Amino acid sequence: MTSLCTLTAKDFKSDLKPIWCPGCGDFGVVQAIYRALAAIGRPPHQIAFVSGIGCSSRIPGYTTAYGFNSVHGRALPIAQGIKIANPELLVLAAGGDGDGFSIGGGHVPHAIRRNVDLAYIVMDNQIYGLTKGQLSPTSPRGLRTVSSAFGSLENPVNPLSYVLAYGAPFVAQGTPADLPALAAVIEQAIRYPGFAFVNVQSPCVTYGEEEQQIKAHKARMKPLESLGHDPSDLVNAFRLAQDYGTELYTGVLYRNPDPSPTLDSLMRERQQKMSEGALPRERILELFAQS
Amino acid sequence: MRDLVIGMAGSGGDGIVSAGESLIAACAAEGYHALMTKSFGSQIRGGESSCRVRLGVAPVLNPGGALDVAVALNWDDFLKFGSELPVAGNTVVVYDSATGIAPDALPLEGIDPAAVFAVPIGEMARKSAGTEKAKNTVVLGLLAGWFGIARDGILRGIRKKLAKKGPEVLAANERAFQSGIDYAAAHPLDSPRTIDRPGQATKKLIVDGNDICAAAAIFSGCDFFGGYPITPSTEVMQLLGRELWKYGGAVLQAEDEIAGIGSALGASFAGKKAMTATSGPGMSLKTEILGLASIAELPLVLVDVQRGGPSTGMPTKSEQGDLFQAVFSANGDVIRPVLAPTCVADTFAVTVEAFNLAERYQTPVVVLSDQEIAQRKEVIDPIDTSRFTIVERVRPRGAELEPYVRFRQTESGVSPLSHPGMKGGNYLAAGIEHNERGEPTAGGAAHAKMMEKRFRKFAPLKTREDLFRIEGDPNARLALVSWGSTAGVCREALRLARADGLSVKLLVPWLLYPVADGVYRSFFASVKGGLVVEQSYQGQLYRLLKMFTDVPAGVQPLCRAGANPFRPTEIAAALRDIALSLQRQAGDARQPQE
Repeated sequence: MTSLCTLTAKDFKSDLKPIWCPGCGDFGVVQAIYRALAAIGRPPHQIAFVSGIGCSSRIPGYTTAYGFNSVHGRALPIAQGIKIANPELLVLAAGGDGDGFSIGGGHVPHAIRRNVDLAYIVMDNQIYGLTKGQLSPTSPRGLRTVSSAFGSLENPVNPLSYVLAYGAPFVAQGTPADLPALAAVIEQAIRYPGFAFVNVQSPCVTYGEEEQQIKAHKARMKPLESLGHDPSDLVNAFRLAQDYGTELYTGVLYRNPDPSPTLDSLMRERQQKMSEGALPRERILELFAQS
Repeated sequence: MRDLVIGMAGSGGDGIVSAGESLIAACAAEGYHALMTKSFGSQIRGGESSCRVRLGVAPVLNPGGALDVAVALNWDDFLKFGSELPVAGNTVVVYDSATGIAPDALPLEGIDPAAVFAVPIGEMARKSAGTEKAKNTVVLGLLAGWFGIARDGILRGIRKKLAKKGPEVLAANERAFQSGIDYAAAHPLDSPRTIDRPGQATKKLIVDGNDICAAAAIFSGCDFFGGYPITPSTEVMQLLGRELWKYGGAVLQAEDEIAGIGSALGASFAGKKAMTATSGPGMSLKTEILGLASIAELPLVLVDVQRGGPSTGMPTKSEQGDLFQAVFSANGDVIRPVLAPTCVADTFAVTVEAFNLAERYQTPVVVLSDQEIAQRKEVIDPIDTSRFTIVERVRPRGAELEPYVRFRQTESGVSPLSHPGMKGGNYLAAGIEHNERGEPTAGGAAHAKMMEKRFRKFAPLKTREDLFRIEGDPNARLALVSWGSTAGVCREALRLARADGLSVKLLVPWLLYPVADGVYRSFFASVKGGLVVEQSYQGQLYRLLKMFTDVPAGVQPLCRAGANPFRPTEIAAALRDIALSLQRQAGDARQPQE
């Protein structure tokens, strides 16, 4: 499975030039992904990288993996289909906060409860960038945007407590302001056997707020490790998750030390158990033969 | 008699549908062909239920017209089915005398049936079997006695079905069956009606459209099904959920219709043959991913089992109202093949064809089944699967991977398709417009080329005459065109009309879209008048044909909303009217000119 020759971050970088604005946080995220994939060492052709629509959803095209830049909000169903169809593949899904928690929000709980072995990276910038600056599901209450001229009247989604509440076995957060740490949590997410979620606070340099920029992140971010947080402590993870929007924690928030089997492995077991005694495909109509 | 149409209705729990199933199984064993439709009230449990069984010595083409035999365990229930169980002058009516209605006061407006029997069905069940639960077995005895059908076969079926329930239950049911036979012997029909004996009994299949569709998917090499429960298509997912694992495949009951088709498209991207199934409301939701499959050029089979009405409509009733949706839904200029089966048996062939087209042209393909075909059980001859070929997608090899150009402009428009895991085949699949290498683009020139490619690849499909069935008189001036379950009614109408001296022909497309202009042109060349018969208010096939080919002015739609099935006789009568008006026109044209 693992390649004999050593892979470097460069091997995962494609020739496509990103459409992102100079200074966009997503540049850091894609760098972190290159590094994580190099550390893991699976060759690009064994990786399927799926996204939805949005600035950040362009990301699969900037890697040398098999990419699928699908439609808005549907990265997770497609990614799960890929992994179930071929469990040998390393499957990544990615997108923005709108893709994951607004239009595609209904898919997240089900990907979690199925526990298909894949890593889901959300680039959370609290704004819709591609459509030029509207409210997103994680925009703070009161935010004035082109679609909320008098300030948002709605509470934001909290991605961390959202996924924890549905039982995600691996939840982490990162920021491109600390690239090595971000690469490290993405690597851990990919290695985790099951559904792994990484919320990346990825600044929108064009429409984002001042305190959401890289410079501010560098000042604000608090590594969970330095706070003495034990990632196997679900109750404390929930407590810390409540600070979303005020504190910028980085690192692994929750890691279930006793992961349940993944859906893809359970399905494979069932296939193996049931393979004996099947009618050959060309004789399938015998199912309906009158006795 | 060559065939017999039996309609039965009762309350849920009366075992009417189970009696119908026993009857067709017994008839199959004796070599008859049969077709059974079920119909229920909308209650989850209980409420009224009914079935129609048509038996024949030749393959049965449709549920038939007026009933030869009507069985009402309860008149309130029977009457709720209205036009689905039509009683006529030649119908033998059998009902439970416990309903308290006198034989000369039946609640049948303006109809005087040929014979009426008020039979103490419930009482016979109690006396012979000790329980009213055996009413359906008494009914089977009555039918076997009066119409000479499958007496031994029914008895064998009862024995097999009840073997597990112990000797007492079995003996009780045998007595109930016999009591029906004895009653029929003591009260003979004035004019005996016995159905012809079939020839040598050959092995038959008993299957409905949904189950055979799922079996065709397995036969075609399908390895993944993603879907969401929706009436009347759910049985496709259910059968695959029992069987597909055995072949190393998987079934995902997704959180919604979108995730159902999304996961299937993911599996196809991963290199597997994949399928989803739904009904109209689910089609609406699946549309965005259908469009994605078209632009990403990925194979996918979508089965839409049509039901009645817009929105939730009538989930348990049949209609052919999703043709426009199957053909036109999705944004942007898009084309996808749409196929329709016309009966249970050809649901197999059409589904196999759908997989083949999906793989050959790297496209989503819609199979438009309908509730009637999907949920009716037919007794059919076995299908020789060795006559089918299975198509696999073209995968890149050798030089095609150095470097791999996913959407390479080829002569056919079809480009070799790699999948994750294939070294050197890495590419970006996208819903975004792309150039040959799969790189996103917003350039008009690249878009124009890709649009042309995505349409051009379907050109050979329009010459596939094997996806059409033409029968009748080749040079007839009178014609029928029909699709889906309605085609079976038209086949019989064609025979009636020809037996009546009319020269007429019938065209039945399996391929509805793209419209095979050439096939229709040559079919219509001799035609002056006729009908496009379909079960939709607008007459969607008629309108589609008007859009893409020349339809002779004398060919008109014969269409109406679902749950009001066509009868062969009314179509034959409509043909006669058209023949007469053509004659008049010809006569007028021959008037001497001044």
